[in-house]
Amino acid sequence: MVQIDLAEIPVRRANELIREHGAKGEDVEVLNPDARHHVGVGLISPITVRVRGSAGYFCAGLSDAARFLVDSNTGWGLGDNMYSGSVVVGGNAGAIAGLAIRGAEIVIKGNMGSRSGQVMKKGTLCCCGNANFMAGYMMYGGRIIILGDSGERLGENMAGGEIFVAGEIQSLGADAQVVDIAADELDNIREFLDRYDISFKGTFKKVVNAGKQLRYATREQQVRSIPFYHFSGDCDYWNPKIQEDIYIKSQIGRYRVRGYGGARALPHFSDIAFRKDLSRAGEDAEAVSKVAMHTQIGGKSGAKPLDLTMPVLIAPMSYGALSASTKAAIGMASTLSGIAENTGEGGMSEAQRSNAKQLVFQCLGGRLGWNIHDMNRADGLEVYISQGAKPGFGGQLLAKKVTKELAEIRGIPQGIDLRSPSRHPDILGPDDLIIKVEELREATGYRIPVSVKLGAGRVHDDVKIALKDTFDFIELDGMQGSTGAGGAEVMEYVGIPTIAAIRAALDALEEIGRSGEIQIVLMGGLRDGIDAVKALCMGADAAAFGTATIIAGGCIACMQCHVGQCVTGIATQDPEHEKRYNVPVEAQNIHRFLESVRFQIAALTQALGYDDVKKLSRDDLVALTPEAAVMTGLPFDPSYRDQEREIRSRVR
Amino acid sequence: MCGVAGIMFKNGGGSNETGRALIEMLDGCQHRGPDSTGFALYDAGEDDRLHMRFFVGTGDEDPKAQIARIKEILAEHGVRVIKEERQANHFRAVADFSGDIQKLSYALEHAAKVVSIGRSLEILKDVGSAHDIDKQYDVRHFKGSHGLGHVRMATESEVNPEAAHPFWATGFEDLAIVHNGQITNYFKMRRRLERRGFEFHTDNDSELIAVYLADKLQQDVSLKEALRMSVDDLDGTFSFLVSTKDEIGYAKDRLAAKPMIMYEDDDIIALASEEVSLNRLFPGKALNTSEPPPGAYDTWSR
Repeated sequence: MVQIDLAEIPVRRANELIREHGAKGEDVEVLNPDARHHVGVGLISPITVRVRGSAGYFCAGLSDAARFLVDSNTGWGLGDNMYSGSVVVGGNAGAIAGLAIRGAEIVIKGNMGSRSGQVMKKGTLCCCGNANFMAGYMMYGGRIIILGDSGERLGENMAGGEIFVAGEIQSLGADAQVVDIAADELDNIREFLDRYDISFKGTFKKVVNAGKQLRYATREQQVRSIPFYHFSGDCDYWNPKIQEDIYIKSQIGRYRVRGYGGARALPHFSDIAFRKDLSRAGEDAEAVSKVAMHTQIGGKSGAKPLDLTMPVLIAPMSYGALSASTKAAIGMASTLSGIAENTGEGGMSEAQRSNAKQLVFQCLGGRLGWNIHDMNRADGLEVYISQGAKPGFGGQLLAKKVTKELAEIRGIPQGIDLRSPSRHPDILGPDDLIIKVEELREATGYRIPVSVKLGAGRVHDDVKIALKDTFDFIELDGMQGSTGAGGAEVMEYVGIPTIAAIRAALDALEEIGRSGEIQIVLMGGLRDGIDAVKALCMGADAAAFGTATIIAGGCIACMQCHVGQCVTGIATQDPEHEKRYNVPVEAQNIHRFLESVRFQIAALTQALGYDDVKKLSRDDLVALTPEAAVMTGLPFDPSYRDQEREIRSRVR
Repeated sequence: MCGVAGIMFKNGGGSNETGRALIEMLDGCQHRGPDSTGFALYDAGEDDRLHMRFFVGTGDEDPKAQIARIKEILAEHGVRVIKEERQANHFRAVADFSGDIQKLSYALEHAAKVVSIGRSLEILKDVGSAHDIDKQYDVRHFKGSHGLGHVRMATESEVNPEAAHPFWATGFEDLAIVHNGQITNYFKMRRRLERRGFEFHTDNDSELIAVYLADKLQQDVSLKEALRMSVDDLDGTFSFLVSTKDEIGYAKDRLAAKPMIMYEDDDIIALASEEVSLNRLFPGKALNTSEPPPGAYDTWSR
């Protein structure tokens, strides 16, 4: 057994050593841990790690196959996201023990803190003492065994799995019920306890999901196909959209869920114009070779940055909302155009990884499909806090799309209306977030950038937090951003517009004297290279496209992404529909669209008088409406309206 | 946004190294708040002897003029200064006074940036780390019976010394709090207290907790009972520590959304956001700690 003394070396170095010894199959003993965080994070070798004392947050987090023995206590997030392997804790464990585990066995000899087993998928979390409040909160599967008493709201909103309690249950959570325990289940528990030398003779109450809230009580109605321009409505008062909305609510008796983006007219990039004479723009067919567009994103703390041939990324969209074929085509197109793709929620499929040369892997509150192995093969990690389409809400994936295959990669029961948690179990403030970011860096050896995705709400505060929490870059998403499924009211009315968001972000950095210290990728309803150039002028370091790439790949904008029967094979998991999607053809279509974006960026940059996109400036812009002027701080000058109207036909 | 720490020595009266202990504890959780750090330190105190601290020179105004104005107000209220000194961004005065502290405090608040006024309490806070504050204010040599500490990450408000914790409940001698979390019914509670004549000097929700508790104590409610009431009255996510001349206590919201962990033995009671802070007091030793449940509160007296 090799000894590593944390009184002598920092945790970062200790974790490197633990991994090195792990690779050689050598067991490790950690001395003087003194409740330091991140001990053993990211270990993927089947060795034994003995911690001689107390460990801090995320002990054994993001590990697979190792066996941890902690003599005393552990802090929050014990065994976070652990796959196989085990942890035995001699003392107490803090809140969210067994958070999001996917197969590990965790045994706590003392008590465990609040919300333990939150969003766990598989494996066993066993507490020999008492469990605090809300154990099994939003768990999707696996087993929690509590030999003592349980606190309030046990199994709150659990979607799957079982909780066995030997002592008293203070109260049950929403949608949880007590049922009889079967003889073989009791035998299984006894076998488990024997294996960990826990002598216990009593019996258990069994708590499972009560099945009342796994699906919406009423089904989402099929909507009439209203053309988008009509849908967004020239008339904001009584129009066909409002009429239909009322009719549907009269049938379903709740808020509506739909896909696609907001359909309400809001100040956007069309309300901003270039203040220079652009009559010659687009004439030089060689513009691309004359303008420097190469951009690196996320290298500020020494990680390997994303290397982009132009300041453009693909916006995060999930495999789940989109079909595997669509994600494959987008990945291919991103590679062909030399930019980066993003997994969105729900895990990294093989099709995504093999087709996208650079792929950012997103971490969301439900930890659906999140795991150390895919983290290790990602080119960037991204903590999703919220998205522009529905800031403050979790994703929705209605039952039709939760197929067997998809349920497996996400680690959830098949056929539920999946309403992802709106917040992370282990991020309840910027102070927790910084410890989480550190965990992700520890797990991946500080090799790749860690970014944050922010839906535009309180941008002013959020951006400062992002900077202080040491993120490598920000993906900032305005309210014109789209989604696979969201509450209609939220999509239309919550958040702030994209053009206002970038202004707020830059103002916040300036206010604390930290301008330019964190890169910002702006997204949320960007349609083409012209919008991208405006975003860059306003101060974004890069622009990201989501909906535009989907449309380039065949989307007909029917706004029914949530239904799961997408006729183009994009927003569906049904093989019958998906087979209509021709991956190589659509990959070329998306690639061609991205190349048109490249040309537009180059042509406009050149026409504005620069040879490098980094020279684009706010001074090149005016606002065409008073609203846009107020939101962006740009001078109000409607005299450029005609030029703005023509620019799309000239530079394409 | 923050990390908190608190310690009370059960024995030895006012002769314990509270300053040194809190520096260690805060250094252990500085990652939770790199922007500013502060200490509320208590010694035995003497009747009618006030310790006063003010921020000077943190804005554009000349510190000499600020100090002159402070002394003018002190004189007007019959406060006899027996010792005064400049310490980094603080002006510290020790004085004899037996009048109404609340009246004096409000008068001073209108003319100066008061950090703390108390018989046994002194608050030392500024921008920087625990070690930075120690260098400027000599925290480590402070001997006493108990104290609180706080590390802050500035988010909603700017990084400035005035926004650092601990917060003193203006006008109430020897009452300080440190807080990790967010009070979501801030404006409602603030308006309620303002109608009752209390003054607020920041927009920080932590100041609200201090004034809320001071109000209860003034009505002869015990600290423990005041904490029990706070769990019902305050909305949001919070773990806060409070200290008075003789007591130290904590309260935690009903969702247990912010961390807090405690350690107690025959000599001390120590509370902190993270065990790593508690462990700084006992390097190399595994501690028998406990995490209070949601909605918990408690107090200890010396």
